[in-house]
Amino acid sequence: MTTYPATGTWRRYFSWNTDHKVIGIQYIVTSFVFFILAGMLAMLMRAELRAPGSDLLNAETYNQVMTNHGSLMIFLWILPVVAGFGNYLIPLMIGARDMAFPRLNALSYWLIPPAGLIMLASFFVGGAEAGWTAYVPLSIGGPPGQTLWAVSVMILGISAIMGAINFVTTVITMRAPGMTFGRLPLFVWGMMATSLLVLSATPVLTAGLVLVALDRVVGTQFFTVASGGDPILWQNLFWFYSHPAVYIMILPAMGIVSEIFPVFARKPIFGYRMIALSSMAIAVLGLTVWAHHMFASGMDPRLRVPYMVSSMVIAVPTGIKIFSWLATIWYGKLRLTTPMLFALGFISMFLIGGLTGIFLAAIPVDLHVTDTYFVVAHLHFVLFGGSVSAVYAGLYYWFPKITGRMYDEKTGRVHFVANFVGTNLAYLPMFAAGLMGMPRRVADYDPSFTSYNQMATLGGLILALSTLPFLYNAIVSWARGPKAAANPWSALTLEWQTSSPPPTENFAEIPVVTTDPYAYGEESSLTAEPAAAPAAG
Amino acid sequence: MSQQAMTHAEDYSAGLALGVDHRKIGMWLFIASEVMFFGGLIATYLHYKYTLGFPEASRLNIVAVGVNTTILLTSSLAVVMALSSIRAGRSGRMSVFLLLTILLGATFLTGQALEFSHLYGEGVTLTGSVFGSSFFTLTGFHGLHVLAGVVWAIVVLVRGLRRAFSAERNMGVEVFGLYWHFVDIVWIMLFTLIYLIP
Amino acid sequence: MKERTLFLSAIVAIVLVALGFLVASQANLMPPEASTRAVEVDQLFRVLLGVSTVIFFLVEGALVFAVLRFRKRAGDDRDGPPIHGNTSLEILWTLIPTAIVVVIGVYSFQVLMSIENPGRSPRIVEIIGRQFAWSFRYPDQDLATSELHLPVGQSVVFQITSEDVIHSFWVPAFRGKRDATPGQVSEMTITPREIGVFPIRCAELCGAGHSIMTSQVVVESQDAFDGWLAQQQALANDPGQLFLTMGCGGCHILAAAGSTGTVGPPLDGLAARAGGRAPSEDAAPYVEESILEPDSFVAPGFQPGLMPKNFGQRLTPEQLQALVAFLLAQP
Ligand code: HEA
Ligand code: HEA
Ligand code: HEC
Ligand code: CUA
Ligand SMILES: [Cu+2]
Repeated sequence: MTTYPATGTWRRYFSWNTDHKVIGIQYIVTSFVFFILAGMLAMLMRAELRAPGSDLLNAETYNQVMTNHGSLMIFLWILPVVAGFGNYLIPLMIGARDMAFPRLNALSYWLIPPAGLIMLASFFVGGAEAGWTAYVPLSIGGPPGQTLWAVSVMILGISAIMGAINFVTTVITMRAPGMTFGRLPLFVWGMMATSLLVLSATPVLTAGLVLVALDRVVGTQFFTVASGGDPILWQNLFWFYSHPAVYIMILPAMGIVSEIFPVFARKPIFGYRMIALSSMAIAVLGLTVWAHHMFASGMDPRLRVPYMVSSMVIAVPTGIKIFSWLATIWYGKLRLTTPMLFALGFISMFLIGGLTGIFLAAIPVDLHVTDTYFVVAHLHFVLFGGSVSAVYAGLYYWFPKITGRMYDEKTGRVHFVANFVGTNLAYLPMFAAGLMGMPRRVADYDPSFTSYNQMATLGGLILALSTLPFLYNAIVSWARGPKAAANPWSALTLEWQTSSPPPTENFAEIPVVTTDPYAYGEESSLTAEPAAAPAAG
Repeated sequence: MSQQAMTHAEDYSAGLALGVDHRKIGMWLFIASEVMFFGGLIATYLHYKYTLGFPEASRLNIVAVGVNTTILLTSSLAVVMALSSIRAGRSGRMSVFLLLTILLGATFLTGQALEFSHLYGEGVTLTGSVFGSSFFTLTGFHGLHVLAGVVWAIVVLVRGLRRAFSAERNMGVEVFGLYWHFVDIVWIMLFTLIYLIP
Repeated sequence: MKERTLFLSAIVAIVLVALGFLVASQANLMPPEASTRAVEVDQLFRVLLGVSTVIFFLVEGALVFAVLRFRKRAGDDRDGPPIHGNTSLEILWTLIPTAIVVVIGVYSFQVLMSIENPGRSPRIVEIIGRQFAWSFRYPDQDLATSELHLPVGQSVVFQITSEDVIHSFWVPAFRGKRDATPGQVSEMTITPREIGVFPIRCAELCGAGHSIMTSQVVVESQDAFDGWLAQQQALANDPGQLFLTMGCGGCHILAAAGSTGTVGPPLDGLAARAGGRAPSEDAAPYVEESILEPDSFVAPGFQPGLMPKNFGQRLTPEQLQALVAFLLAQP
């Protein structure tokens, strides 16, 4: 039934393997490859946008590059990398030997590489060029690549649903004795909220994609305007999923930084209950705001106001998290390791993205900035400054656990600084360009926007280069880094209470949990030993 | 997190305290996502019904489909009987009821096929109008779910004949039953929305 | 101690609010305010900017302060104090953002109601988006034009639609934007308040020509506007005018029409080369075909798929003949 090839061979990463740790690594590494591909597409766009006029890519190619950049980044990078963390960590964190459905787990991973190849293949048959939002009727009339795009996203959705079923079932049924819901690590809470969103929102996108694919392939009339088809319907189906999708991408990220702050501040997380609750609140509210992407569309104008209100209300639970993190580091003994730096960077950049989200939610302002670079800037601050920063933080934080070796702290800091500078340089000017009147999804623009775009291109280049020290660090340290202790950060969550990397089936004996996971500074907890390898501070 | 070693590894799984098998929870979650999938298709159907009026809907044969609906409902009863049989340890009786389920499901599918071909004869087609597209897609996807259920029922039947289930071990039957009832309930929704409500 | 905290908080609050006010009043991030709506939207934008500045510096300030102040000192390996939470603080940072959000929401709602109020007897202008050009119709005069002219100070309701895919009609200087959706008409209200010429952009991805789907709106005095309308009516059936109303001028240079578009080939002297262009086709049929089915022969050096394919429906046969003759008559 459950197959575990001999541990320690690299081949298991290329085979059908049901160990959640192997699957987690498969997810993370695969999605990182797609990240690099999508990032290279971004660099193509930035090169084209360096100056006005469409000199490098013609308009059609540009649209294909832009569509695939957005789609790969969302469907093949952030969503699967987050699932990778969930796979690797959830069983370890709740004290289980594996996921509830190990074979389903392997299947949900193995759907991803083919889906990715299908999406990339669209380039060769006249690519998808309707943006990641694939608005009809443009996407109905588009070239054959658009069908591949729809099929690929459908498969990825099914994979995500299978993963979510697995996560929720695992957390409900496989917690170690004493691991009550009130003691679940906050990352696990984040994954729970995310998985519930995946289960409720993704199937609706699948249904919508079925309609688009049928229209394109079979010739059904769902979106044929002349027969009475309604383009706004697709927008509702798409955003009913894709707004929750942005919270699917941020809640686990918030979970990751919630793990990191207490460990490196050596203080209990501030307001555990409110952070866990706010994840659930964001998930529930997140299902009610989708039409804020459609304020300027043909939808009935009277329906817009409730969506404005619900969008703005999300600031409250998000604010609770941010203030709780600040209170966690307040009075702490901060160790500024690379994961901690990325987590702090997460707060400062996500904040910019979140606050500009409020501008977008205010309908009168949105009617000016919707479909401009202001939105592009918002989405990169929340997704790159937010989700990607947190993913980097998590990759560094769990690197010793996953690989059994220590990364190099100095190179990590170089990565952080370049990443921080690059992000702000690339995306801040986009706010100004959008406000001044630059629409998004254009290969060519008015010369008055040149200077903003030059800055953005330079920032993008710095971002691309900042990836190199990370890759170097990850590869060299994984191969030859110093051996890491089981618990180099003296952390209290369960994944650190087993060896690095953990053995097959994780724990020699299933632990019994008696306190909460962030009991730093208390008599009963482990005394804080100095961090093993990197000298912090 | 302080902790102490646990000697009996088989005692672990705090979740078991809830007394729910993981396969059942998994099935419930799957059904939840299926509800949302059908929700998307139903919303599409209702949206167009509301905006376009769907005059073609008058061609639908409520009586014939009503009979078909009864057949599907009966099959749910058969699944209930199959489960209670095996819970009482009566494996043979379970097989009979599973067979009945399969036959009723297949009858329903045949009825649906007849209905479809009748509608095609009247010129209502998948690609001919928004009504055709919405109607055939929605009921067609339900039909595919019934078909999957029939195949699953055959698998359960075969496993039953090989004595895979007993009064104590019958989760395979129970989980299948959850799915079958779900498919049934979806049909009741569709029948009401498409055929009954004008 | 208590007093000191209060005093400090007050100072921090004053500094933050002053900063927010400064940023909001000094920032100059928007195009000219060419409509009354722009003035209200910008006011709302400034308020949001001010509030965000305060929150931004509060959070970043606390973050930087904590990093500097609470860094682990060398040799100090103790844990921090075991503080798990503080109910009054948590209530505070739930209630204050809620209050801010309510105020912002109510204010945004008021602005929305005000900018979308068309006032009494607005002028109606129909706006039609097509891949990849805008055209305009003044229903009161039953007049189709290639340019949008508006009298200053008069409220106008745009009735926006599309003939193919979704476009979005946007005049940045007016601040408003509304999608042109095929099969339905959406409205947008504007009152221009400044005389001048302002760019129009398409803001919804509509295909390869999305970025060139631009035009401009001319806001002028009532007299100038009336004169322009009269002139347009007089020219309605003139082929040179047709060339402009149909949007050809947006993509083609033609001296006689005074157009300067460069998306498609220049059409001056077309007669000289049209004959031999496509194999075995005479000049007139070739030009006709170029207009009706632009992709059947693609002029070298230019992209297929850009020129709209629906002129067959939009031009009457007489208009088409007049246009072909007119083009072939150009030196
Ligand atoms: C990680 C992903 C992510 C996250 C978390 C968010 C968060 C938010 N987003 Fe964003 N959004 C996207 C990803 C994301 N978004 C993407 C990808 C798009 C573009 C899609 C496309 O068209 O391609 C988009 C577009 C988008 C639009 C549509 C724009 C348009 O096309 O016209 C809107 C409109 O309302 C919006 C609003 C918001 C709001 C209100 C939040 C809120 O959740 C933010 C809440 C956070 C804060 C406010 C900061 C912290 C709070 C405090 C410190 C408390 C105090 C604050 C106050 C009292 C204000 N977003
Ligand atoms: C998680 C999501 C994510 C991430 C991480 C990014 C990352 C980046 N994005 Fe992306 N972006 C989106 C999600 C994301 N984007 C979405 C959803 C859209 C909307 C699409 C749509 O409109 O449909 C979008 C749109 C978008 C646009 C607007 C396109 C348009 O509207 O016309 C631009 C323009 O500059 C852009 C740029 C970038 C850049 C420069 C990066 C950089 O951060 C990337 C840096 C990374 C690398 C470059 C890879 C690694 C580098 C190396 C291995 C080094 C060697 C390589 C080279 C030097 C080439 N993005
Ligand atoms: C959105 C841009 C656009 C618009 C509007 C447009 N064209 Fe074109 N046109 C092009 C492009 C691009 C080409 C070259 C590619 C091709 O031949 O299809 C072209 C080619 C042509 C040619 C062939 C020229 C040659 O040298 O062979 C003619 C004639 C022509 N257009 C006439 C018109 C007329 C008349 C109109 C208006 C009724 C018009 N065009 C509107 C973009 C446009
Ligand atoms: Cu028209 Cu973009
Ligand atoms: Cu959203």
